[in-house]
Amino acid sequence: MTRPDPGAARATAWVTHLRAGGTTPWAAWTGTTDGPAPRVLPGAQQLELLRRLNEVGAVPGELAERVLTASAAGRGRPDLELVGSRPPSEFGPPPVDPADLPAEELLRVAALLLAEDLASADAGPGGDPGADDLRRLAADAARRVRRRAAWRRPWRTRYRLVGDPWRADVLRRDLVARGRPPGGRGALVLVVADDLATMLADLWTDRCFSTGVAVPAWGTWLDSLAGARRVARGADPAAVAARWARGVGRDRVRIVLDDRALAELLGVDALAARPVLPAHAVELARLVSGALGLLVTPEPGRRLMREVLLPRLLEQAARTGGPPLGVPPEHHRWVHRRSLRLRDAVRAGDYPVLGQVEDLVSRPRVLAARAPAPAAVADERVLALAADLLLGRSGPDAAGPGQAGPDRARQEEQA
Amino acid sequence: MSAKVLLHVGTPKTGTSHLQDVLFRNRERLEQHGVLYPADRFDAHFLAALDLMALPWGGLQAEAIGRWDALAEQVRRHGGTSIISHEILATASRSQVGRALSSLARDDGTEVHLVLSVRDLVRQIPAEWQENVKHRSTVSYEEFLAQLRDPARSSRIASWFWGVQEIPDILDRWGHDLPPENVHLVTVPAPGGPPDVLWQRFSAAFGLDGLDGLDLDLEAERANPSLGVPETALLRRINKAVNPVLDPPDYRPLVRELLAHQTLSRRTRTPRLALPPDLHEWARDLGQRWSEEVRRRGYDVVGDLADLEPGPPPEHWADPDSPRESQVAGAAVEAIRALLVENARIRSEEQRLAHELHEARVALDRAHLRPAYRVREKLLRGVRRTAVGRGLHRVYRLARGRSSRPA
Repeated sequence: MTRPDPGAARATAWVTHLRAGGTTPWAAWTGTTDGPAPRVLPGAQQLELLRRLNEVGAVPGELAERVLTASAAGRGRPDLELVGSRPPSEFGPPPVDPADLPAEELLRVAALLLAEDLASADAGPGGDPGADDLRRLAADAARRVRRRAAWRRPWRTRYRLVGDPWRADVLRRDLVARGRPPGGRGALVLVVADDLATMLADLWTDRCFSTGVAVPAWGTWLDSLAGARRVARGADPAAVAARWARGVGRDRVRIVLDDRALAELLGVDALAARPVLPAHAVELARLVSGALGLLVTPEPGRRLMREVLLPRLLEQAARTGGPPLGVPPEHHRWVHRRSLRLRDAVRAGDYPVLGQVEDLVSRPRVLAARAPAPAAVADERVLALAADLLLGRSGPDAAGPGQAGPDRARQEEQA
Repeated sequence: MSAKVLLHVGTPKTGTSHLQDVLFRNRERLEQHGVLYPADRFDAHFLAALDLMALPWGGLQAEAIGRWDALAEQVRRHGGTSIISHEILATASRSQVGRALSSLARDDGTEVHLVLSVRDLVRQIPAEWQENVKHRSTVSYEEFLAQLRDPARSSRIASWFWGVQEIPDILDRWGHDLPPENVHLVTVPAPGGPPDVLWQRFSAAFGLDGLDGLDLDLEAERANPSLGVPETALLRRINKAVNPVLDPPDYRPLVRELLAHQTLSRRTRTPRLALPPDLHEWARDLGQRWSEEVRRRGYDVVGDLADLEPGPPPEHWADPDSPRESQVAGAAVEAIRALLVENARIRSEEQRLAHELHEARVALDRAHLRPAYRVREKLLRGVRRTAVGRGLHRVYRLARGRSSRPA
């Protein structure tokens, strides 16, 4: 530690203020310290994220330290210096006022922290069986009993779910939980489908809840599809049905557009509903999955995203709401036209359809009603959600206002 | 013997692939002389760097998990000199540098030396754009140059470029706590000189030239060859076409390796990529300021800082954003030829595998038709009808050491 110059002394005091739960922006901060400066000051991104978290609620000391020592995941701007914290240098990236940083930069840090939380939630084998583990064991045992019961019903409809991966995954889990695993001799191939805009949103959501491969932002992804004049496989039930028809025969393929008819076909009560997340929650999942892919391999990554993060996001969504993923106006035209071609291709294939084939069409009015929010607004929403999740993790362990938070900082300032 | 760590952290396009290839292939000889190059595969240090810096890299990141800690542990266990080398380490943040240095040092005072190989900006800028194109980028050269010159450096391209190329800033981040004599700058000689000068400089910086009896195999097996103007322009067009349909695990072997490195890089008579003449002065000024700063800080320079002085601008500059279409067409034909040859090889391999599979199936069918097999099969079916029989069969399988389910 060395004795700081005035700029560094001001920055050091600000870091102490933020550690204590302070919320004063850097530009308004006038405090200073006589104490030694740390070897390296945290970057502006980390400091601003901590300040924003302090604004939301009490930040436990451990979390504050994690924020200050975290690096941003992935490529992007490096850790930036605070403007005025040291004499101007002609080398390195220009220093910034942290308040000017876009939410996207703070999210890179927050996503890595959330990913670390998820990775640490994966106890893995050999850990002490806590209450959650015991619950999981009990649920597993119950599932096994139900599965055995299914084997005693040879008249059940055997199935294989393909098509829209997000919807198919939910249906599969639901059916497995009911003791109806997929597969078996002569299984019907059920191509899960919806209107094209919904399938595109589902496909992107499914990728956001997987790890291992970088997923571009929603708008960029749609741009690339539009540019290549194609839809990805999971959003093209006609192509999927044609491929399966070649393998197992047309009579064993069904296009599924109606959940109720599907439940009747499979002989079960109402099936699980598709989890609908607001657009900003899916975007946060995309960022977190990118960071989680740096910490765990794809299989546990996918499981953690769906079994740990998804329920938390759904819980938050139920509380705060938010618009679902919408197709930007510049893509309405091709999505509508492409959905008409899709409908025609399914009709031409002459596959049995559960539901109305017209439901494949994305109508311009419906598309217009779901127009997405501007990017900057969306990023702020994502950041607010990330802050809620980071703070929510601490739960009952959260430090009270006497230990951390704005009140404590104010007391220190008054002192 | 006190521990010593030599950390080579960059910069890209300074002969690093050749250096790492030599170190990897000679790691056993080096170890016999007390020098550890801890790598179980050629790209081990690349993966460790990805892990340290939390960087995704076209799906490779899953292989990188835990790699830095494993590398650091090997270094800590080794008593003598260890070498770590990867050029993307240049972009590490201060906190990542702190983590790296503390993880490598042992309690008994490990001596850390930083090595940075550097080349003049006039050669580095086009080389970096080409590297971007070889990593799926579709950005034009003009746009790339504009982003580099933006003082805010807010774009990803600019952040990365200056992160791995701005010599004084890299040394600020990595050499902050090191005495200047422990920081070694290896300059890449100007083009046209003897080919082994750069290796001699690396060898001096790593202290390998002082090891008695060390005879290294310097034959290059891996390199990161450069492309010409029409070849890079073609690759950018290919990226535009294949990015939406080709995943990174396929892009790497097919486009980067087969097309760029093994095919297009062999076309050496086409115009070479260069900095536009109107930017020479800007790049020269910047390079001079960096050289002065390095001189002022008193680092150990292996080579000559005059190597950072660029040569004169080319008389005829070829713009990769508007290449000669006949040259691009020539490159495209070469690319098609290479893809067809590769396709023929894969078809032949496919036929061979199909033949092998067919033979295996025939052999299996024959085995199933044997009376002895059919009797055993019938017996087993009978035994497994009862719970006791199934249990006995399980015990038998366990005892035989095969617990997997039958296919």
